Parts: sequence; structure tokens; C-alpha cells
Amino acid sequence: MRRSKVLTLFMALALTAGCGGGGNASSGLPADQKQPASSGSSTGNGIRLGILGQCEGPFGGFHEDVVAGTTLALARFAGASPSSKTSALEGFSGAKVAGTPIELVGIGCGDDTADRIVQEVRRLVEQLGANVIIGPLSGDEGIAIAEYAKAHPDLTVLAGISGSQEQTLHVRAPNYFRFYGDGAIWNAGLGDLLHNKEGWETVAVIADDYSFGHTSAAGFIADFCAVGGKVTHRVFPPLGTTDYSSYIAQLPNPDEVDGYFWAVGGTGTQAALEAFVNGKGDLTGKQHAGNLFFNPDLAQALGTDIAGAYVGGFATLPSDVRTPEIEEYLAAADKTWESIPGALSGNKPAKPSVAAAFGFFYGYYTAGVALAEALEAVGGDITDVPAFHKAIAGLTLDLPYGDIKLDANRSGIVDVGLSRLVNESGKVVQQTVAIVPGVDQTFGGTFSPDTPSPGRDSPACAKRDLPWAGKAITVVNGVPQR
Amino acid sequence: MKLAFACLVFGLALLPAVATPFFVNFVMTQTLILGLAAATIVFLAKYGGMISLAQLLMVGIAGFMYGNAALDGGARGLNLGWHPWAAAGFAILVTTLVAFVLGAIASRSTGIYFLMLTLVYGVIGYFVFAQIVEISGPGGITSIQRPELLGPPVLLYYAGLLLSVAAYAGFRALGRTAFGLALQGVRDDPVRMASLGFNVPLHRALAFALAGFVAGLAGLLNVWWNGQIDPASISIGPTLILLIIAVIGGISSLKGAWLGAFVYVLVLTYLRDLPLVDRIGLTEARFNTVIGVIVLMIMVLSPEGLTGIVHKIRKQFGETRP
Repeated sequence: MRRSKVLTLFMALALTAGCGGGGNASSGLPADQKQPASSGSSTGNGIRLGILGQCEGPFGGFHEDVVAGTTLALARFAGASPSSKTSALEGFSGAKVAGTPIELVGIGCGDDTADRIVQEVRRLVEQLGANVIIGPLSGDEGIAIAEYAKAHPDLTVLAGISGSQEQTLHVRAPNYFRFYGDGAIWNAGLGDLLHNKEGWETVAVIADDYSFGHTSAAGFIADFCAVGGKVTHRVFPPLGTTDYSSYIAQLPNPDEVDGYFWAVGGTGTQAALEAFVNGKGDLTGKQHAGNLFFNPDLAQALGTDIAGAYVGGFATLPSDVRTPEIEEYLAAADKTWESIPGALSGNKPAKPSVAAAFGFFYGYYTAGVALAEALEAVGGDITDVPAFHKAIAGLTLDLPYGDIKLDANRSGIVDVGLSRLVNESGKVVQQTVAIVPGVDQTFGGTFSPDTPSPGRDSPACAKRDLPWAGKAITVVNGVPQR
Repeated sequence: MKLAFACLVFGLALLPAVATPFFVNFVMTQTLILGLAAATIVFLAKYGGMISLAQLLMVGIAGFMYGNAALDGGARGLNLGWHPWAAAGFAILVTTLVAFVLGAIASRSTGIYFLMLTLVYGVIGYFVFAQIVEISGPGGITSIQRPELLGPPVLLYYAGLLLSVAAYAGFRALGRTAFGLALQGVRDDPVRMASLGFNVPLHRALAFALAGFVAGLAGLLNVWWNGQIDPASISIGPTLILLIIAVIGGISSLKGAWLGAFVYVLVLTYLRDLPLVDRIGLTEARFNTVIGVIVLMIMVLSPEGLTGIVHKIRKQFGETRP
């Protein structure tokens, strides 16, 4: 008798919550429910947009930045007005392109794991009825979302800033588009420069042990080996390591190798370099190269010895390159909000252009621009989903940091900016040294849908021709010498 | 009691006819999977006096084994390309064997030492899959398809319901068998049971293997539902979540496992949709804090979890009744 009440209560709870669980009417018993009733563009209610960010985990600080990126694009090209002047997370209203309204139905909260992001996208699509997704942010998430997109062909996904190679090269979902480069692309041209200009013959590589770290290292290795360099060591500490001493011990000593390439991200960059100083002796900047987290702020902890190091690109160019388009883009960000508490300002309110000048914001911005331009291209008619996808795939976006179009696997072909940390009278600053134009993710055939995913042992170190070798455009004092 | 149980099952079976697809295929299917996995913690605690932190590892082993065996020709895992049901059988077999071996090793420890040992299993298991990328990816096994028989998501819900009912009834029935009674004897006084001639470590190892078997079934449902598994799926965070689910429901109540899972999934999915909660700072980013506070309140108010609270309320009513 007693138990019966418990069970009845449980059942009543379940039923009540079920009936109130969402707004979609449905017959329910549907062997048909591979596709949720509300997904796809067939509803004719315009774009129902879901944005996938990360509010927890190692990149949780960028949640505001990435939502702001898409919001800025829609504010500039779709007439959206943000609901708050000090935060993008409050959403926006009034977005419309070619008569088709764009409604923000929800913002997904990832934590850098594939499991969580799949749950978040299911909530956005299956509960809230999103038909366009912008995101995700991180490498492993991108692979999971690309797989989800493949299983839901009516959905349209514009990747945010997720940089793993496989999400486009291997998964190849026809409805998954990435208007920026992958982690490998951002290191294109760096090996060429180090081998041919700085005379590095041998290098040791240390990178995060997950898909983005593997992809970053793969790009550098492919580039450095293509021009004749040799990789002597590959060391992969897990993401989130705090004590790097045992991994530093696996690296050769500074007199045994010409240089080191670091693709250790987030808070790991500084910790790993400090462990290097403790384990191998003082840094000599010109013996090091790294990717996006190798920035002037490192000098605060490591001193000016870090000057001389080369840095691969990220979605935006370093701040010493200023063109009218870039100025206009940054000014538009400052006009859209009074302040944005982005990650670069430690999540304290700061000028929106601070966040806008960095890759996380910019990747989501490019996705937003792509959405607006694709809608324009189809005259706002999204009832024909394949035509809409074809329009997206055919776009060439005229963007502030360089034009971007897509390759056959719908991943961006981009210009990569290489830079160097230099010591300007005691202050370390980042100076752009070269722009490598038109880099695509295949690296002249090094990577293809049939090659293994970038991993601890792949790619192998092999000499080959790269389309962009020797074609880098030199940049002097922030001005490309085209 | 039996009637109420039948009514509940009947109601859940009819649920897809009245609820939204999202509620059935996402909320309730996830509830049943997590509940099934958490029920193995409750079973070990209730009948064997063993609180295990290794149950999510079993869920993970089954998932990884299925992914390796069933996938054919991708960049990830071993790609054995077996028939899905052969792969499922293989996954369950491996999981049960691993559970038996780990159970045998842990069978001479009790209480806090058992908890610590199983925590070690969980951590080692995570690193095994994170480091041996040949069987876990690299970066997880994705594109896992479920067998054709379970193609439509609603059938996965029914599979979850069927297995949950079977596990609940099975665990309860087991408690009344000779093995179950001996196991409860081992829980209450292992020394006396040993002196009576019972093989105490064997009973514990067998119970652990049985729990591993059921957790393996939950693991299969989980990869069929989620389509992918990676080492982060079985890291320490999710491991603790499973224990928390068991605690929310009531660690000594089998049905509490599903109740706890239901509350967990509801909070995860719907808390942020409640009006005005973001005005008091309860955004999705603070979800873990909310779950933490709920657990804390339950521990203080009712160490027996939600089922304990329900019992108390019912007792009150019972006493005031004329």
C-alpha cells in the first residue's frame, strides 16, 4: 500500500513532466522519430538558430565571446539588435535576411566533452526545434557534432571554431560547413620558414594529447618535413596537465636539436614552458615555435627570453596588421555593445573589440556572416534544404581578415598569418612576419579522407611538394608586401 | 504493491503516446539508462554492503567493446566489423569477465577500503582507455550505430524500460534466493558466514560480476543512444555523477536509482528553462552546483534519499490517519 503511493507519485511526475516537456505536438509512437517533428526547414517559420558554446571546461571563459561573434555578424548583416548592451548571452531580436526571420532559440552549454555537446545539440534541435546550429567550439566536439549533422540531413551546421581535421576531412557530412581553418592549417608555412630561413634541420614536437593538439602538430610536421626537416621526438601530454616535468624530461636537450614546436594550449602553455626552464635550462626564444597560445603575455612569467619565437596563425591576424576592413569590423563590435566580458579580459567587462580581435569570437562571426549571405543567396527561401546547403557551399566570404571559400569537404581555404615575438625596448610584442595565402586542409595530398586521423604517430615525416611552399607574402611593419 | 508496479510500468509503456518525442527519446531514455547503471550500485550496496565506484567503468567497457567490434572500416578503434548482436554479446561477455576479475581482487576488502579500491579501478580504467588509443579511438569511438531491430529511437526507450523492469525484478528476486540470502549474510557478518562454511570472497566476486553484467547492458544502451563514447565519458566526474544519482534516490532503495536518475536528468534538461532562474544566477553553467546543493540537502534531510523522504511523508500521513 505504502509503496504503491511512491510508485504512483513517480508515475504521475513522469506523466506531468512529459506533457509539459515541450511545445511540440506529436503523436508520440512514431517509429518515424529518427527526425524530430520540428527539425528541418520544412516548418517554414524561418531560421531557428541554436548556438553551441562552452560554459564549462577549459574553454568555458569563451562562452560570451563566441555568442557575441555570431551576434555581431547578424547585427551587421541581418539587422539584429542585441537584448543587452553589456552581454551577448541575453540574445538578440529583429534579425531578418531577405524577409526570412532568424530567431535565437537557445544557447547550448558544452564542457569540452563530446558526450555533453551531443546532449546539448539534441536539446537545441529536438526540444527547441533549431534548424540551424552555429558551433561547436572545440576539437572533439566538432567530430561529434559533424556525426550528428550527418545523421540529421535537414539540419544545417556552421562550425564555430572547432579545429580538428576529421570533422570535415573524414566525416564529410554534406550539411556541416566550416568557414575557417583547422589546427593543421594554422601552422602551414611555419616549417618552411623555420627550415629555410632559420636553418632548423631537426625539431622536437610537444602537443596536447587530443584531436586539436594532434591536428596542430600534424600541420607543423607535414610542413616542416615537406621542405626537408626531420622530427626527432613527439611528446603528447594529456590536456589539462599541470605538472609537465615528466613530459619535458622526454624531450631532447637544447644542444641535441635545432628547435622545439609547442602546441600546448590554454593554461598549459606557460606551465609547460616553465617546466622546460626548470628541466632544460634557460629559454632561447629563437629555438622555439608554437601555435595560438604562444603570445606576448608569456613574457610576464618567462621574461623577455621568449622573444625570437615564431608563432603559427589562428583565425585572425596578429594585431599589428590593420586594414580598413579590420578597423571597420572592430568598430562595429564597439558600436554593438558598450562592453563584453570576454575571456581575453578575464571575463571582466571590456571593449568588445578586444574579444572581436581574437579567433574564438571571429570563428563564430564567420559562421554568422555565412548564414546571412547564404540566406541572401537563396532569396530567404529555406524550404529547399539541399539548395540552401548548395548555396552555403558555394559562398566566398569577403571577411575582414581575408576572403574564405570552402573546399570539396566544406572546410575553409584560408590565409594564414605567421608572426614572431620580438623584444621592443624591453617589451615583448607580436609582429606579423608573413601571410601564407590559400591554405587548404589536404596539405597538397598529405591528408585525405583515406589517410589516418592525425594522432601520436601520424602523419609520418616525409618530403613532398606543398602548394604554398616559398609563396608566403612577407609582412613588414604590419603591411603585406604583395 | 505489485498492482502499483504494474500500473507504473503500464504508464511508462504508454508514455510515448502522450509525451513529446524529446521527452521520451531524450529525457526518459537517458533516465532509464542512468537508472539501470545506478541500480547496480544500489544492488551491491543493499545486498552486499559494497559501495562501488567502478560501475561507470563497466558501462564504459561495454560501450568501447561494442564500438570496437561493431564498427567496420573507419579511422577509429579496432574496426572488427562484426554483426551488431555478436558485438553486443562480446561486449557483455568482456564486461562481465572484467567485473568478475576486479570483483575477485576487491573481494577481501570492505567498507571505505572497498570504495577506495573501486575508485582506483575507475581511475585506472579511464587511463587505460585514454592511453591505449588503439581501443578507444583516438579521441573516442564515434558513428556507433544501433542494431536495426532498435532503429527507431522509441524502441530504444522500450528496450531501456524492458531491461530496467527485468533488472529491478531480477535484483529483488535474487535477494530471496539462497545466493541472495547468503550475500546479505556476508554483508551483515562476514566472519560468521565464513565460519559457517560460506565462501565469502566468492559471493562478493559473483555479486560484483552480476552487477557488472547489468551495468554492461546499460553501457550498450548508452552507446546505442549516444552514438559515441570517449574516455572522458568514464572520467572521474561522470563516475561521481552515477554515485550521486544513487544517493539522490536513496542508496538502499532499488527504485531510488531510477528516481535519482529522473531527478538528475530533469534538473540537467529543464532547470534553465524555468522562468526567472537565471535572474538568481542559476544558469546552465552552475548546474553542477545545483546538483551539489540538492545532494547536500538530501544527505542532511534524509540519508535514505528521495525514497526516504517519500517514506517519511507517508508515515506522517499514516500516523495522523484515524
